[in-house]
Amino acid sequence: MKAGLEIHQQLSTGKLFCACPAELSEEVLLTVSRRLRATGGENHAIDPAAMFQASRGLTYRYEATPTSCLVELDEEPPRALNPEAVDVALTMAVLLHARPLDEIEVMRKIVVDGSNPAGFQRTALVAVDGEIEVDGAKVSIASICLEEDAARKIGEAPGEVTYRLDRQGIPLIEIATGPDIVDGAQARSVAEAIGQLLRSTGRVRRGIGTIREDLNVSAPGGTRVEIKGVQELAKIRRYAEGEVERQTWLAHVADELRRREASVPGTAPVDLTELLRSGARGPIGRALEQGGVVLGLKLPGFAGLLGNPSGGEARLGRELADHARSVGLGGLLHSDELPAQGVEGTLEGAVRTSLGAAGAGDAFVLVAAADPALVRLGLEAIRRRAETAVHGVPPETRDPLPDGRTRYSRPLPGRDRMYPETDVPPVPVGTERLARVHAGLPERPEAVRARLAGLGLSADLAGQLQRSGDAPLFLELVRRGRAPAAVARLLSQEVPAVAAEPETIAGWDASTQLLDDLLLAVEDGRFSKEGVLPVLRELARGAGDLAEAQKRAGLSGLAPEELGRLAGEVVRRNAALIGARGESAFQPLMGDLMREVRGRADGQRVAEALRTALAARRPPERA
Amino acid sequence: MGQLVQITTGEGRVWRGTLVPSHELSGERIVQLKLESGYNVGLHLGPSDRVEALPGAPAAPEKEAPATRTNDRSTAEDRPWIALLSTGGTIASRVDYRTGGVRPVRTEREVLGFFPDLDKDGPVRMVTVSDRLSEEIRPEDWLSLAREIVRVFGEGAQGVVVTHGTDTMAYTSAALAFLLEDLPGPVVLVGSQRSPDRPSSDAFTNIVQAARLARHPDLGEVVVLMHEGLSDDRFAVHRGTRVRKMHSSRRDAFRSRDGPPLGSIDGETLTFCGDFRHRSNGPARLSGTLDPRASILWFHPGLDPLRAAAFVKGQRGVVIAGTGLGHMSLEHLPWIRSAIAEGTVVVMTTQCLAGPSDPYVYSTGRELLRAGVLYGEDLHPETAYAKLLWALGQSNDPAEVRRRMLEERAGEFEARHQAVEPG
Repeated sequence: MKAGLEIHQQLSTGKLFCACPAELSEEVLLTVSRRLRATGGENHAIDPAAMFQASRGLTYRYEATPTSCLVELDEEPPRALNPEAVDVALTMAVLLHARPLDEIEVMRKIVVDGSNPAGFQRTALVAVDGEIEVDGAKVSIASICLEEDAARKIGEAPGEVTYRLDRQGIPLIEIATGPDIVDGAQARSVAEAIGQLLRSTGRVRRGIGTIREDLNVSAPGGTRVEIKGVQELAKIRRYAEGEVERQTWLAHVADELRRREASVPGTAPVDLTELLRSGARGPIGRALEQGGVVLGLKLPGFAGLLGNPSGGEARLGRELADHARSVGLGGLLHSDELPAQGVEGTLEGAVRTSLGAAGAGDAFVLVAAADPALVRLGLEAIRRRAETAVHGVPPETRDPLPDGRTRYSRPLPGRDRMYPETDVPPVPVGTERLARVHAGLPERPEAVRARLAGLGLSADLAGQLQRSGDAPLFLELVRRGRAPAAVARLLSQEVPAVAAEPETIAGWDASTQLLDDLLLAVEDGRFSKEGVLPVLRELARGAGDLAEAQKRAGLSGLAPEELGRLAGEVVRRNAALIGARGESAFQPLMGDLMREVRGRADGQRVAEALRTALAARRPPERA
Repeated sequence: MGQLVQITTGEGRVWRGTLVPSHELSGERIVQLKLESGYNVGLHLGPSDRVEALPGAPAAPEKEAPATRTNDRSTAEDRPWIALLSTGGTIASRVDYRTGGVRPVRTEREVLGFFPDLDKDGPVRMVTVSDRLSEEIRPEDWLSLAREIVRVFGEGAQGVVVTHGTDTMAYTSAALAFLLEDLPGPVVLVGSQRSPDRPSSDAFTNIVQAARLARHPDLGEVVVLMHEGLSDDRFAVHRGTRVRKMHSSRRDAFRSRDGPPLGSIDGETLTFCGDFRHRSNGPARLSGTLDPRASILWFHPGLDPLRAAAFVKGQRGVVIAGTGLGHMSLEHLPWIRSAIAEGTVVVMTTQCLAGPSDPYVYSTGRELLRAGVLYGEDLHPETAYAKLLWALGQSNDPAEVRRRMLEERAGEFEARHQAVEPG
């Protein structure tokens, strides 16, 4: 197995080609509808991935938000590369011992699935030839790129897809390792180590969807396949191993097909609508009931190779079906899965005769749908995939499925989809700039770990803060004078808990200042430490500031004067008790006052107020 | 360029890729390579770096797009056809990534390869009139374009589409509107704000809509067709003499001044917002010529009267883009008086983005009027300029030129300025 990882991390520097903040938004200002065409890059070669996407002919709707502008809408030329984002990329280059390029050239990568309103994603190679050592093993870093994130998919309807532009243009650092990773466990630890380095810069966005991993896998005899968007690191191993198994099986199938001299005939598909009208059941039967058509394609030499006799997950039949699905069909029926859907016995014989597929080595596929054009398109996709099967494993992009399997999504984009972004000037990387980057390097994760231990954090908690990327934030809040224990609890428990709540605004992230204010409010006794979670929750649900959140949480803390007044009243009301019991009256009075305060101030502050009130009651001692 | 090379740096790093042109703003001694991955990298070549050419012929500069299908010319002859006159500009250009330059698409085959939907309603005949970005277009180009339009109508075109750079498209549309008479069909100027090598280009939809409009059975005037909003499904049809580019980059940059556009297209449906000029029985003809001895003078605070006088000297006419209702500092009265005395026609317009000029409201206007300045009503400076060239081409007599300037010819005056949001 040869696997490489691609890690995409969003930056918090502001967008890459405009002055918008790198923030998501739920507020839609206007919606624009567009269509995209596949256009040629150099030498007019139209990239297969682009052609495939454009052939679907969809309308794209784009929602503009307060965090997007005319640049994201492709209504204004992009600005120069965000210099802060470039510095973060160069910082990563230094941390990964990579070689920055002398000049950064911005490219357009054609993507016409609508996820970029311009029809291309801007991307730039920043550095090459790095390495990282994880658990004693060195893994090469092939490239570090800076690119813009795509728009956020909001929904799909027949014929149209809706995207929101808030995410469009958020800078992404893409770090690609070489094909050096030997197993899933190593993939996981490398991803974690790179993730930690990224977060150590303090300039990355946090939360769900802000870091994404792709897996590049090639098995012996196979080819490079990209598994896009593996969100859960825990599953990397299953995806990688499943992909090796798939490629190994398909390579075996290709060998066998060549041995049998199998080929896919160029003849027109055969219409089997009338033949199957009375006998077919299942999806084929339903399509016919809706006035649809059935087309069949003969695959000579494929018999027994569409299924997997060894019982493995990898099957050529599934590959063909995935290609049919990619153009919008429900699936297919192939001869290795017969009898099924009513195609059995004499009916199967009749189908074979009609297709001229009566030979022992002949297989066939049937496709049905209400729309005849769709059936033809689907069968053509199947034919092309079957032709490829004879040659081996095609390079492609696959989507991860929740169950650990993957599914074909589109052809692997080639170099034909890359062409220069002439609207953006190149960025020179001079020695001066690199010196500045070196001078501002963040602390290495090992050093941070030592500092955290020095502040009394357990190894577990320190590790958790580093993995989550909160270590710099932790150190900053402690530097500002907040108590390490309170900061640790806030960052390791309260913030993650609130971030995971469904009512929390998408992409919510509290600023350092806000967290500082929150802890300070507790220190000042404006509310108790139990109040942190409810106040934070209100902030995450859109409260404008701390005071508003506190109010919404029903914790508008008591003003010191009000607390003093309440304490004074309790003391006055209980004058007799105090007279009788002296010092030991403090406990019952405290209970009384706490009931009055109702959580609006913490115990320590309440006790202080009570002591002050008691002291004020005593007549001053005479000398 | 296009050569496969290998660069070995002094430190021993080997780069392999295709040599491509560097960005105009690249640093000195930066060589750009396109790697196998498709990325371009900028490398600073030092004395210890070694460059070797690898075997393989350099890629030839691209010629033309492979035809994605062929135009069926056998039936083209007897079906109604429209002419597509190409002048250059964004809509008709593509980046040549081998040389880095922008070049026009020239042949019918290439244009149809680019815009496959262009002739879905019938045949289109291509004529390349010029290959220029619109800031390079001059009044003599307006004349040759007008002659070409007369010629293709003479050959039986049902309508004409003119592809044009957007920067000066509104000047051209105004000039054509003054020059052309008895149009037997529409003349539709169209451009794009995003070049057609971008998948999101507005060129694809604009040009197809323009071709449809050129087949309109009744319309017989010069119009500009562009996006009406930011979406790809609404288009505005502007009268050639009332339109202006109001935004440097948005696809809905073109607006009709002081009122709604002549028509709106929502998806497939065209709705006219007011009266339009109907097609005549022809033949189309060129009326008069243009005398380019005139300019536009933009008044601004501090404009030195001596400089202004020198600028106007020797010209037969000048359009002043004045402030507000059509004002300029009275310091300029002396040169204005002498220019008019020498037979120069001085036309006042407003540099405001909308609204008419009016000499009667302020004393400045009245002074300028008394000095002999001709107030251009609600002509915007570009239209006034195009009209002035045409009027100067009609007569050597300043009084006759002044009379022509105020005589409505191509819907250039808007009698009513409706209370709508300014465009």
